[in-house]
Amino acid sequence: MTDHRRFTDGEAVIEVDGATVGAVIAELERRYPGLGEALTEGSSAGINGEIHAEPEFVAVAPDTDIYFVAPLAGG
Amino acid sequence: MTATENPPTYTWVGTRPIRHDGYDKVTGKARFAADLDLPGQLRAVYVRSPHAHARIVSINTAAAEAMPGVKAVVTGADFPDLGAADPEYDVSVNVMARDTVYYHGHAVAAVAATSRELAADAAAAIVVEYEELPAVFTIDDAMADGAPLVNETNFTKFVKADEPSNLSTITNLERGEVDDAFAAADLVVEREFTTAAVHQGYIEPHACVVDTGADGRASVWCSSQGHFRVRSSTAAVLGWDVSRVKVTPAEIGGGFGGKTTIYIEPVAARLSEMAGRPVKIVMTRDEVFRATGPAPASKVRVKVGATNDGELTALEAWMAYNVGAFGNVAGLVGAMSVASYKFPNLKLEAYSVLSNLPKSAAYRSPSAPHAAFAIESVVDEIAQKLDIDPIELRLKNAAVEGDVTAMGMPHPRIGFVECLEAVRESEHYQSPVPDGAARGIAAGFWFNIGEQSSATVHVNEDGTATVITGSPDIGGSRASMALMAAEELGLDVNSITPLVADTESVGFTDTTEGSRTTFATGMAVVQACRDLIDDMRSRAATTLSVDVGEVIWADGAAVAEGHDPVPLASIAAQSKRTGGPLTASASLNAAGAGPSFAVHCGDLAVDEETGHTKVLRYTAAQDAGTAIHPSYVEGQLQGGSVQGIGWALNEEYVLNDDGSLDNASFLDYRIPVASDLPMIETIIVEVPNPSHPYGVRGVGETGIVPPMATIANAISRAAGIRMTALPMSPPHVLTALNER
Repeated sequence: MTDHRRFTDGEAVIEVDGATVGAVIAELERRYPGLGEALTEGSSAGINGEIHAEPEFVAVAPDTDIYFVAPLAGG
Repeated sequence: MTATENPPTYTWVGTRPIRHDGYDKVTGKARFAADLDLPGQLRAVYVRSPHAHARIVSINTAAAEAMPGVKAVVTGADFPDLGAADPEYDVSVNVMARDTVYYHGHAVAAVAATSRELAADAAAAIVVEYEELPAVFTIDDAMADGAPLVNETNFTKFVKADEPSNLSTITNLERGEVDDAFAAADLVVEREFTTAAVHQGYIEPHACVVDTGADGRASVWCSSQGHFRVRSSTAAVLGWDVSRVKVTPAEIGGGFGGKTTIYIEPVAARLSEMAGRPVKIVMTRDEVFRATGPAPASKVRVKVGATNDGELTALEAWMAYNVGAFGNVAGLVGAMSVASYKFPNLKLEAYSVLSNLPKSAAYRSPSAPHAAFAIESVVDEIAQKLDIDPIELRLKNAAVEGDVTAMGMPHPRIGFVECLEAVRESEHYQSPVPDGAARGIAAGFWFNIGEQSSATVHVNEDGTATVITGSPDIGGSRASMALMAAEELGLDVNSITPLVADTESVGFTDTTEGSRTTFATGMAVVQACRDLIDDMRSRAATTLSVDVGEVIWADGAAVAEGHDPVPLASIAAQSKRTGGPLTASASLNAAGAGPSFAVHCGDLAVDEETGHTKVLRYTAAQDAGTAIHPSYVEGQLQGGSVQGIGWALNEEYVLNDDGSLDNASFLDYRIPVASDLPMIETIIVEVPNPSHPYGVRGVGETGIVPPMATIANAISRAAGIRMTALPMSPPHVLTALNER
């Protein structure tokens, strides 16, 4: 989301290492304090086209795109 | 009618057996929560706030407690303060106010007595002293500079806010260069839309019976979409471990998202604990309207740019959702739901705005209908101005696999184009518009979700089977579970009994919401069946003295070359000799829910003397992935359409100046009835979801997204007026006609 850029000095694309979604978030938090927490509060992620709820331990590869999304529910 | 990408090759999936719970439903034998009565049971009645925002100075219950038949009285003081950081805090305060009431109708106290009448008399004797506080009810008032603070515990989410605010979420999504795209566009259309708060309108009010025993454990029977959530939320509000609460789901008389949370169960549990007797609470219709979650009201400004040949080049939108007195993510989800068209340039700004109204709750595709009403109206207006067929314009811009949604995530395999094509080729769309009428088209999207599900499957000793899940059946899911199990096991679906078990008899299962049950719980059922099949192959291998690798499962039997097939019933009959009972359980956290699209087509006529709109014909097409039981898929499409048409034409919360609801009954809150509408025609589009063993997407929600714009677009073509406010009720349409 555009809102997250306030944690990254306006950068829209950043590269971090991590073998799982949780590791990626931890690295983002280390480099951009507050961003990891903001991402964790919205606790779903789109990974390779699938939305995962609470994805902390989902494995990711170097070319994996992760989209952090609101915790979706529904009616 | 079904438009199928891959012709079905299944024996049971896609067939239409009578639902297993059907006989009880049509003969009136199905037991709902309010049908249950326990020996010694008390009835409870609430005291509710007469103010929209006030500090509770004092509550005097002495007179009530001394009245005949009264066995227990509770106020906020009888529930623990969870602290504002607790995820269940808002629920706990909504269940029973503490030092502040946040909306008209907020629960303040409750009385349990030997009859409902005695409880009501005692409730009337409770004296509450209030100090009124400033209140706001509209998005504009709540967002104005210097607006009174609705809820001092609300801090804007996701941004580490330092100060409380009337904004629960602020969302900005952007891609491309919107300003440049508008400057280059041949046509730009910009409008502002508003929608009223609407209730889910389930026929069955919230009801429960709770028996808290001397051991401190509570047994709960209730109407809900998720009894595991009832368990966890009830325990949290009471400050208990979840193991102290057992919840048995009753049949449910409608929910549509409104029964994904709790209101009454902890109150009944505490009263029961205090009285030592079971306590029953059944909300009145008035209470349902005043104190349970409606879907938010909204204000949405939309600006769309296009080329003369109908390419949609830019979208800019400002969205605000009135979420009531407690924060949620309605605005964020509304922005995220913008996913139907490619829009290379996009800028969205969305807000979840608090007000002194009841806490809003989910309602079929929550937040998506508001955004779609606005965007689909403007897209249709562009089609009209460019004189392009509305389906062709949408096809030209429709998102396909790989196109990104507003939140930036690429779509997986989706069936939007197939839905548009299905409507275009339908007999309805190909037929002339009736004289004096006009036709509207609109589309809708919803994500669908996965989440956690559990299932246990028993093969009984006679070769029948029992399928047990933890998903309340709100739309025919028991039949779907049985059909998938029948397909896997090779059994007749009528020899399978699908059950919904209590919280102590099946593994944890998330709530029936987000169109997830046939998808996710179905995956658990399929997995349990496949584990059972492996077990039965192994047992057959033992009896046949062959290696298990030589045994396959086909048509309900274990088959090994050179041997007669061993039917499931035979394996079941020998189970004691081959290892004991045949049973398997599976639990999972399902990923890969398939997004759903719908396209609706409606013909209607507008009475220019009265402003009344009559729907003459209506067709709903939707991508189901694979329809496990087509009749119940059609039912979902029809139900969503009807609720959306009601939202479009009549339904609204009418508020008095003090924030009280002026139309808290079905007499004054007008939902469509059968005589109002034609039969809703359906087209099931089947573009299988590759992440589900049978291709299921989930169908419960998307059907409510297109109707508002479908109706508005038809009215525009019928009467030359662009309706931008819901509901489009006769007075509003008449006003627009007179201003034309």
